[in-house]
Amino acid sequence: MTNRSRRDFLIKTTGAAGAAALGSFGFPAIVQAQAKEWVIGASLPLTGPFATAGQLGMPGIIDFIAMTNDSGGIGGKKIRGILEDSGYVAIKALANFKKALAEAPDLACYFGDSTGFMKLVAPELNSRYKIMTGSTSFASELANPSTNPYQYVSGPTYQDMFGILLQHVADKGGKRLAFVYSDTEFGKDPIAYGRQRAKELGIELVHEEITKASGAEVQSHVAQLRRADPDFILMHGYVTGVWPAIIATARAFGMKSQFLGTFWAMEKVIADKISAKVGDALNGYMGVLPYRYFYDRKEAPAYQELDAWNKANNEKYPGYLVTWYLQVRMTMNLWKKAMEITIEADKPVNGDNLMTSLASIKDWDSGGFFGNPVSVVSNKIPQGRVYAYNTENKLFLPKSDWIQV
Amino acid sequence: MHIGNARSSYQADEVMWKRPAHKGAMLLIILSLLILPFWVGPYHLMLMSQLGIFVIAIAGLNILTGYTGLISLGQGAFMGIGAYTTAVLATGYGFPPWATFPLSIIMTALIGIGFGLPSLRVRGLYLTIATLAANVIIVFAIRKLEWLTNGDRGINIEPAILFGFSIESELEKYFVIAPLALLFVLFSQNLFRTKIGRAFIAIREQDYSAEIMGISLIRYKLTAFAIGSAYAGAAGSLWAYFFTALTPNQFNLSQSILFLAALIIGGMGTTLGPLFGAVFVILVPETLRAIAGLITPYYPLALQATAPITEIIYGLLIIGFLIFEPMGLSAIWARIWRYIDRWPFTR
Repeated sequence: MTNRSRRDFLIKTTGAAGAAALGSFGFPAIVQAQAKEWVIGASLPLTGPFATAGQLGMPGIIDFIAMTNDSGGIGGKKIRGILEDSGYVAIKALANFKKALAEAPDLACYFGDSTGFMKLVAPELNSRYKIMTGSTSFASELANPSTNPYQYVSGPTYQDMFGILLQHVADKGGKRLAFVYSDTEFGKDPIAYGRQRAKELGIELVHEEITKASGAEVQSHVAQLRRADPDFILMHGYVTGVWPAIIATARAFGMKSQFLGTFWAMEKVIADKISAKVGDALNGYMGVLPYRYFYDRKEAPAYQELDAWNKANNEKYPGYLVTWYLQVRMTMNLWKKAMEITIEADKPVNGDNLMTSLASIKDWDSGGFFGNPVSVVSNKIPQGRVYAYNTENKLFLPKSDWIQV
Repeated sequence: MHIGNARSSYQADEVMWKRPAHKGAMLLIILSLLILPFWVGPYHLMLMSQLGIFVIAIAGLNILTGYTGLISLGQGAFMGIGAYTTAVLATGYGFPPWATFPLSIIMTALIGIGFGLPSLRVRGLYLTIATLAANVIIVFAIRKLEWLTNGDRGINIEPAILFGFSIESELEKYFVIAPLALLFVLFSQNLFRTKIGRAFIAIREQDYSAEIMGISLIRYKLTAFAIGSAYAGAAGSLWAYFFTALTPNQFNLSQSILFLAALIIGGMGTTLGPLFGAVFVILVPETLRAIAGLITPYYPLALQATAPITEIIYGLLIIGFLIFEPMGLSAIWARIWRYIDRWPFTR
C-alpha cells in the first residue's frame, strides 16, 4: 500500500466513524417522538467473563417482551426493550443505563447486569432517576428499601441462601465446614454473615479458601481444602468456572466432603458438561435455587406456557431453559406484577409507585417459579429450595421442601 | 498559504499557536465545547464528561510515557488513589471539593514518586513490569484496607457542592470537567516549553546523555512520575464526583491498559495525542454499538452476535491504526494541517 492510499484509507475510515458518531447524537430525539409504550432497558454481559450466563439469560427478557406484547401488553400498552451488552463492566452498564434514559426518559424499568452496576447506579437512582431496577444480583445489601429504595432482588439474597445451606449442614450433623469463594464483591457478599451463622449453629469453620473468579489454580486450592478436611464445603461467587473444577479435583484427590453452592453455580447445563468429562464427580453436589428447575414443570403453569411458546417460536429450543433465563424472566415478571398493581390502583407509573406496588405483593401465585406463594419482604423474595445433582439422570433433584427464610 | 518558517526570535519559535488558522481552530473547538452541551442529550453529555476525565488521565500518562519515555501500566490505579482520596476525605471527614481535589492530586503525586523509584534503576519493559506491579499493589491495598475504603463493597460519595450549587446533572458535571480538562492539557503543552519539560524529553531520547549534560535523572524522573500521577489523581477526584460510587474494580489493570492503548493510538509525545486517544477509545465502541443497534430493534437476538463482533472490530481497528499509522492520530491531524498550510502545492 502506498503512503497516499494509506492516507486515503485512514481519512475515509475516520470520516465514516465521525459521520456515524454524529448520526448517533441525533438519534434520541427521534425515538422520543415515537408512540407511547412501556420502555424497559437492560444491560447484560454478552461479552466478558460471564458471557455464557448473559448470552443464555438474554432470551429471558426478549421472550418476556414478545409474550407480553402478544397478550396485549400491560394496561393496553406494548413494551419496547432497549438491550445492550455490558461486558460485565459496571461503568459500561451505567453508560447503557444513561443511554436508555436518553432514548426513553420515562423508562419504566431497568435490568442491570451485576452488583457492581447496582451499586454504581444507586446514588443517582435514589436522588434523580427513581426507576424500578432489578438485576442479576442477589446481593444482600440491595434488599434494603431504606438505602436502595428503587432496587429489588428477584429471590432470596446470597445471605439467605447461605442461611438455608448452613441450616441444612446443621440438620445433617455437620461439624466441620469450609468456605470457598471468589475474590470478588460477589464472592465475599455472604461470608461475614456465614461466619456468624455457622458459629450460632455450632458448626466449626475450619478453613476459608479464596480463589479467582475464573482461571483459578484449582489444584493448590484443593490441596489446602484437603488438609483442612471439612465435612461440608460451601462455595460461592462463581458462575461457569472454578466450582466444577474444584469438585472434580477434590474427588480425584479422594476427598469425601459434601460440596454446596448458591444460585449462579447451580446450572444443569454446566453440571452436565463437566459430568461428560469427569464422570460422576458432581454426583450429590447440592445447593440452593430460588426457582424450580425448568424440567420440573408439572406443577408450574408458567413454565408450561414458556415451554409451549418456545416450541412455537424458537426453532433451536432444546426443551430446557437455563436457570439464568429463569432469573431474568422472574425479575421481569415481578416488574410486570408491580405494573399491574399500579395501573389497577389508577396510580401514575413511576418508580415510587412501582416499588410500593412491589412491596405490597403478598401470597402471589408466581405460576410455579417459586414453590410457595410469593410475598415480597424488604424488596426480595426470601424462599428457596435445596437441590442435589444426580449424575445418573443428569438432573438437580429436590432435597428439601420449599424453605421460607 | 504558508510557505516558510521565517522566525527571527526564540520567543517567536516558542509561540503556542504558530499560525492564525491554528488559533482559529482552537477557538472553534472551545466554542463547540461551549455550545455542544446544550444541543446533545444527557447520555452524550455523560460521554463528553467521561472523555474529559480520560483526557486528563491520558495527558498525565503522556507526560510520563510520551515525553519522558517511562512506560507506565499504573495510571488506572493512580487514578484510583485520587478517587479514593477524594471519597475518603469527603465522606469520612466532610472535606469540600475545593479541598479534596488538590489534596487528591498531592496524595497521588506523592505515591507516584514512591512507585517511580524503580525507574531510577530499570527501564523499558522492566519498568513496565514494575508499574504493572504497582497497579496490582494499589488495587489490592484499596480492597484490603476495608476500614478506610470499605473494600469490595465500595464507597458512595455525595455530589460535589461548588459555590453553593450541588453538581448533579450531566450538564453541571460537564461544565466542571471540561474546563479542567482544557486547563490540564494547556498545562502539559506549556510544560514542554520549560526547562523541566525539555529535561523530560532529553531523558526520553537518551537518559545517560541527558545526565552527562547535567540533567539530574533522580530529580526529573521522579518529577515526571509526580506530575503524571498528579494528573491521574485529578482525573480520579473528578471520577469520584462524576460517578459518586466507587469500587476497586473500576481501577484495575484493564483501565491502565486502556489508557496506554489510547495514548499510543492518539500519538505519544504530542499535546493532542491524549485527546485523540480518548476520543477513539470512547467514541469508536459507541459508534460501533450505534451501527449494531440499527439491527437489534428488528431482530433483538442479533445482539448476541453483534456484541462480540463489535468487540472484535474494535480490536481490529486498534491493530489497523497501529499498523497504518504508528505515530498515532495526531500525526494524521498534523498532516491535514500541513496539507491546508501548503495548499495548493501539497502532494
